[in-house]
Amino acid sequence: MFKLSSEGEAFVKKELTRYETKRSAIIPCLYKVQEENDGWVSPESVEYLAKLMDLPSAWVNEVLKFYTMFNQKPIGKLHVQVCCNISCAMNGGRELANHLNKEFNIKDGEISADGNVTISRAECLGSCGTAPMMQVNDNYYEDLTPATAVDTIKSLIVKGSV
Amino acid sequence: MPKLTINGTEVEVKEGATVIEAFKKMNEDIAHYCWHPGLSIAGVCRLCMIDVEGARGPQIACNTLAKEGMVVTNQSEQIKDIVKWGMDFHLINHPLDCPICDQAGECGLQEQYMKFGQYDPEMDQPKVKKRKVVDLGEKIVLDSERCILCSRCVRFTDEVSKTKELGIFNRGDRSEVGTFADKPLNNKYSLNTVDICPVGALTSKDFRFRQRVWYLKNDDTVCNGCSTGCNVKVYYNEDGLFRVTPEYNEDVNGYWMCDEGRDIYKFANKDQRLLKAKKYDGSSWQEQTAGKAMQELHHNLFDDVKTNCSKVGVVFTGQYTNEEYADAMQTFKSLGVASFFEWNDTAENVNDFDDLLIRGDKNPNTKGLQDEAANHSGLKKLADAIAAVNSGQIDTIFVMAPENIAVYPNYQSTYEALSKAKNFIWFGANKTDGFEKTNSQNTYLIPMKSYIEKSGTFSGAKAIQKFNYVTTIVAGALTLSEAMTLFQGKEIEFELRSKPMKTLKNNHFTSNRGKL
Amino acid sequence: METKVLSEHYDKPSFKTLSGYKELSGYEDLAKALKMDPKKIIEDVKAAGLRGRGGAGFPTGVKWGFLPDNGEPRYLLCNADEGEPGTFKDRLMMERAPHQLIEGMIISAFAIGSKKSYIYIRGEYNESIRILEKALKEAYDDGLLGKNILDSGFDHDMDIYVGAGAYICGEETAMISSLEGLKGQPKLKPPFPAIEGYLKKPTIVNNVESLAAVKYIIRDGVDGYRKYGTEKSAGTKLFSVSGNVVKPGNYEIPLGMSMKELIMDIAGGIKPGRKLKAVIPGGSSTPILTAEEALKVDMDYESMAELGTFLGSGAVIVIDDSNCMVDLLGVLMHFYHHESCGQCTPCREGTGWLNKLVHSILKGEAKMKDLELINGVSNHMMGRTICALSDAAAMPALSFLKKFRDEFEYYVKEGRSKIKGVSYAEVNH
Repeated sequence: MFKLSSEGEAFVKKELTRYETKRSAIIPCLYKVQEENDGWVSPESVEYLAKLMDLPSAWVNEVLKFYTMFNQKPIGKLHVQVCCNISCAMNGGRELANHLNKEFNIKDGEISADGNVTISRAECLGSCGTAPMMQVNDNYYEDLTPATAVDTIKSLIVKGSV
Repeated sequence: MPKLTINGTEVEVKEGATVIEAFKKMNEDIAHYCWHPGLSIAGVCRLCMIDVEGARGPQIACNTLAKEGMVVTNQSEQIKDIVKWGMDFHLINHPLDCPICDQAGECGLQEQYMKFGQYDPEMDQPKVKKRKVVDLGEKIVLDSERCILCSRCVRFTDEVSKTKELGIFNRGDRSEVGTFADKPLNNKYSLNTVDICPVGALTSKDFRFRQRVWYLKNDDTVCNGCSTGCNVKVYYNEDGLFRVTPEYNEDVNGYWMCDEGRDIYKFANKDQRLLKAKKYDGSSWQEQTAGKAMQELHHNLFDDVKTNCSKVGVVFTGQYTNEEYADAMQTFKSLGVASFFEWNDTAENVNDFDDLLIRGDKNPNTKGLQDEAANHSGLKKLADAIAAVNSGQIDTIFVMAPENIAVYPNYQSTYEALSKAKNFIWFGANKTDGFEKTNSQNTYLIPMKSYIEKSGTFSGAKAIQKFNYVTTIVAGALTLSEAMTLFQGKEIEFELRSKPMKTLKNNHFTSNRGKL
Repeated sequence: METKVLSEHYDKPSFKTLSGYKELSGYEDLAKALKMDPKKIIEDVKAAGLRGRGGAGFPTGVKWGFLPDNGEPRYLLCNADEGEPGTFKDRLMMERAPHQLIEGMIISAFAIGSKKSYIYIRGEYNESIRILEKALKEAYDDGLLGKNILDSGFDHDMDIYVGAGAYICGEETAMISSLEGLKGQPKLKPPFPAIEGYLKKPTIVNNVESLAAVKYIIRDGVDGYRKYGTEKSAGTKLFSVSGNVVKPGNYEIPLGMSMKELIMDIAGGIKPGRKLKAVIPGGSSTPILTAEEALKVDMDYESMAELGTFLGSGAVIVIDDSNCMVDLLGVLMHFYHHESCGQCTPCREGTGWLNKLVHSILKGEAKMKDLELINGVSNHMMGRTICALSDAAAMPALSFLKKFRDEFEYYVKEGRSKIKGVSYAEVNH
């Protein structure tokens, strides 16, 4: 049974009055759910959140499924998103992603055996001048080579999730 | 009231009307899916393109306000080309389900392709696959591959039923309509989404695989499920009635009807009906024609009733027409009978109203009954009739029974209670399962025509509405007026018998009727 | 040579703090503006010729002038959803100079009489969000936001709204929908946001850079602002240069500078051993230029329009001869297919169709007729939809095919790229 922590519920309560309408709070509250649910939003948690916010579950579900930053399936501790849009593609972004697939032995979207890493390909992240680059959870890592990318991820695993 | 010109002809519309409403008023062809007069404007199908003189380029008619002096056309080669490609975009990922899709024959894609498409398709890439046969509860099946994402159904649950179950999830061509976690779409108005869905994405489980629409005729009538009296269309052929859809009426029901009303055709079909009159003489049941039964009643009972009129009672339900009430009450009045009773199993909910269409009084014509009775001796309660029968105060009782027995939970018990009278004459449209247990040694069951099979007037809560005969299901049944005429010893003309029921071959689809 | 008006102090780490910002003349222009007549500020912004820096290039002062005088509360929304591929200038400003944005926003809000504003920022920009949140708090604590700002009697509240990953939310009405808690789907126009926007109230949506520029119009006056740029394209602009240049990055130049100078001098030119092949001038949605066209065009709205393209967001994507144009178009078509919101049928189905068509070429499965089909589909996606994403997907397809037709025909005929070293199977998973 999914339930937010008491801080989480307090956050939701606050967000419901922060904006001009309750509905605007759906995005920030889904982020909170994702934060407390191991990095993803389950259908069960959508139902819970809709009840907590007193909004139709279809409304919450529409927002969940529309935006790419909400994960609808379980995900590794580190979500590694490699940009593969045009400037990064011209600077080896796709090859970098392929390299990471090989290095961590997972296809896009899968979770590595130790639960640490998920690789996915992202659209433009607004870091075209420092291509190729990747976003790992909340942070950007820029001007990468295949080697530095792997090293960065490995050191992040050692540090614990970012 | 602005006047504008559409394809060369002038038309006047209300202030605030859009150009597409002007097209509709003139019955002028314009391609569209997402626009519906009973819903907000979405402007997403992009088909209703028009050229407005002086404008920069083509625009959609549904979101263009009609202004005085506007000159609008949709016949240019460019517009026709835009609409053709618009149809093309709608069809490139549409599955080739026509042979098994219920919507065939009344499908927006089929119709508008024939009018505005007729191109050579060039899309030979793999189509987008989505979920098919999604169970959305007791009434509706969803096929998201067929869905053209017009958003009519979503707007309906947002704006009309206000139950907000439906949404469109995901982005781009992965978009799918549905409920959260496939929760059932079971609000009281859900089947309207099936009506307004231009394609076979939302289909009614009740109608699924039952009949091709080109084998159905349709006619207008009034729903008799409650006192609102929504205007409806019933679809039928020689096999009977198949479904009910709403018809627009500005004053009574707008564009919609409730889900309960969808079932009203079921009790009118032959398998639910009393086909012949039945008589019980204390030892056995016998069948006879209704005409013969009424003649017998005239010979055996008519004079008795006149002589003992104070011991005679008539129980009415609010499911007959104003004309029938007038004829019946007049007949009994002329015989000196003054004890009229009202039988309404939903009487205590008479004032319920859900602020949309559903009313608590599940009879179409309680008002007509009460108004007519006010011209005579008024109406007493059913409980009084039962008490009078029990005490012997009334020994002859005539009962004008309901035809929509689903809303009469005390149907059987009332039959049993009233049949304690010495003479028990029951006028009813429904079949007689469980009626073997009558308490009267002189029981007559007379088959009645259902509302489908007669013309008449209902005084509903919103309006007094006249409706017309649709078709004959049980030729041997009588209207109440005809029964009264025969009771008085006069003659009536009988209609031709209905055609015999066809026996259909069984196949995979007939065995799946009504299921997923 | 760069002309650092907005970006003058971006290299100073203290500039992102309130104290550092104030030391370098921060918020003096707000004080100046608050003493002016708001209507005069709008006139000045109009006269200065500031054009929307997000991509559309619509004159900012004119947009402000559309607000109706109907007593309804007005909202100011800052479009920080920077998503146009190739663009990363707003991120620079928000990370290095959050107070520059905040000051520009308060001045603009004062000019249009708005008491509430939001910075709608894309969810991936976590660093910018952290820095902006800190800066907002500093501003509130210092009385620069809230009630009676600098004793002027003007109240204003500003908040941040974080997006969740959707390029379409950069479209102004989609942003409004997203802020309202709906899916980020654009709204029908009319009504336009200035009349009926956020919660059906009059709303102005402006780009980060546009709002920051307002400060400099106040600081330097109309003539001061017009010192740089051309008659119709006044002022300076930040350009994000990326792709195959030696020194990719954000550069602020006066509008009207030649693209040749921007790419070859300021951004370090092409890598040794390679030649310039093409340039996408203003973000992936703008029609592409050949090398010849690029070396002759100036960086201003009119010059770009003359060549049938747009100045756009200012994202200059430099493409050298090591790239296969079919491959690059495939990357872009994948992007638009992924980002279409799905409302309008031509865009929803057309972006999918275009993506499949270009990828069938890349897989060696296409026929010559498919090239005409790409043109046909693209042409019928232009001007047919609620918003311009459909056009944004169609324009690259049309322009790539028109200007690099030989590469497409080669790929269709031979089943592989004309450019050596580019293999579809290796690159795509």
